[in-house]
Amino acid sequence: MIQALKSEAALGPPSLATAARIGIGGPVGSGKTALIERLIPVLAGRGVDLAVVTNDLVTKEDAERLRRSGLIDPERVSAVEAGACPHTVIREDPTLNIAAGDTLEGRFPGLELLIFESGGDNLASTFSLDLVDWWIFVIDVAGGDDIPRKRGPGVLRCDLLVVNKTDLAPHVGVDLDSMLREARGVRSAKPVIATNARSGQGVDAVADAICRAVLFAP
Amino acid sequence: MLAALLALQHADSAFPSGSFAFSNGIEGLAALEPNFGADGLARAVTAILRHRWARSERVALTLAHRATGDFVRLAAIDEAIEAATLAETMRQGSRRNGASLLVTHARLGTPGAAELRAALSAGTVFGHLAMVQGVLWRGLGLDEAAAAQISGYQTLAGLVTAAIRLGGVGAIEAQRVVGEVLPVLAEVLAEPVETPATPDAIRLESFTPLVEIAAARHARADLRLFAN
Repeated sequence: MIQALKSEAALGPPSLATAARIGIGGPVGSGKTALIERLIPVLAGRGVDLAVVTNDLVTKEDAERLRRSGLIDPERVSAVEAGACPHTVIREDPTLNIAAGDTLEGRFPGLELLIFESGGDNLASTFSLDLVDWWIFVIDVAGGDDIPRKRGPGVLRCDLLVVNKTDLAPHVGVDLDSMLREARGVRSAKPVIATNARSGQGVDAVADAICRAVLFAP
Repeated sequence: MLAALLALQHADSAFPSGSFAFSNGIEGLAALEPNFGADGLARAVTAILRHRWARSERVALTLAHRATGDFVRLAAIDEAIEAATLAETMRQGSRRNGASLLVTHARLGTPGAAELRAALSAGTVFGHLAMVQGVLWRGLGLDEAAAAQISGYQTLAGLVTAAIRLGGVGAIEAQRVVGEVLPVLAEVLAEPVETPATPDAIRLESFTPLVEIAAARHARADLRLFAN
C-alpha cells in the first residue's frame, strides 16, 4: 500500500534529453487557451510531442477545457495552482511549474515541447528564464489599441508578441494596422504576429516561430 | 555571523519553494467562518503550531536532520508524515511543496539534493516538505535548532500570508498576529525531540480536527486560490 502510494507520487526517471519549455502569458481573456487549442493540432501535425501545464487562478477551468478538448491526451495536461499570485508562479517562484514539467517529462519520455500557460494577468507579467526557454505574450485588440503604447514589461520583453482577435478590430474601433505598427515600434526588432485564434488565422506563423526558436526547425 | 545570514536566506519567502500556493487549511477555515479575521487567524495559527507542527513537522524535520544519508530512516520519517496527515490535499501539498523546494536545491547543487531527488524519482520516498527541509538544511550546514526555527517561522508566516491574500486580514494587522504568536512558537521550539531507537518506532502526532474538516471541504470547492 505504502509503496503503491510512493510510486504514484514518484517523479519518474529523469529524462536524458529535456523538452524545450515555452511560456504563453497575457491578460485575462486575451485568448491564451484558444491559441493553445489551435496550436496543439498544428504542432502535432508537424510531429511535435508536447504537453501543457496550466496556471488557472481560482479554478481548473483552463486545464479542464484542454483535457476535454479531444485535442490532447488528458494525462498530458497538468494544472498548477497560482495561490492568488499569477506573477509569482511563473517568475519569482516557478518551482511548482518546474516540478510539474519534470513530472510530465518523467511520465512521457520523448516529450519535445512543454507549454506553460500563465493564469490571466496584467501587462507587468513576465516569465522567469529559470522556467522557460522562450515565451509568448498574448494581447487582443478588444483590450484597447493603446496596450502597446503602455509599454508593459510583458509586451516589451516577450520573445513573440501575439495580437489576437483581429476580427474584432472594426467592432471595437481599433485601427489594426496602426496597433501592429505601434507594437512593432516599441519592441525594436522582436517579432509581432497578428492572429484570430477563433478562425485559426496566423496560428501557423506562431507555430513556425516556436519551431524555429526552440525546436531547431529551419 | 555567516550561519545567521544563511538562516535568513533560507527563511526568506523570496527563496523559491512553491510554498506560496498552499494555505494549509486557512482558505478552508476562512470559508467556514464568514467573519474570519485577525482573531480567528491567531487562534488557527496557534492551534496549528501547537497541535500539528510541534509534534509532527517539527519532529520529522529534526529527525531527518539527524538522519541525513540514512535513507531507511528518512523513508520511515516520510511515511510517518504521510500517516499523520489526515486530509488528502494536505498530504499532496506537503509532497508537492517538498518536490518544489528540491527543484531549487537540485539546481543550486545543495549537498544531499541530488540523492534525495533520485530517491523521489525512484519512488522510495514521498518527499514530504519537513523531511526534505531537514536533509537539505543539514546539507547546507544549518544546525538542528536553526532548521526548526526556519520551519516554524515559515509555517507561521505562510499561514498569515495566505489570510492576507484571502482578504481576511490586512497586511499590517497580520503582523500584530505574528507578534502575538511568536512566543507560542518559541515555547514549542524549546520542546526536546527524542530520537527513536529504530525507524519503525517513529511516531508523529497531529490533532487539528477543525482544520482537517475545513481542508476536506476546501478540496471539493469549485473556486479556490490555494492548492489546500
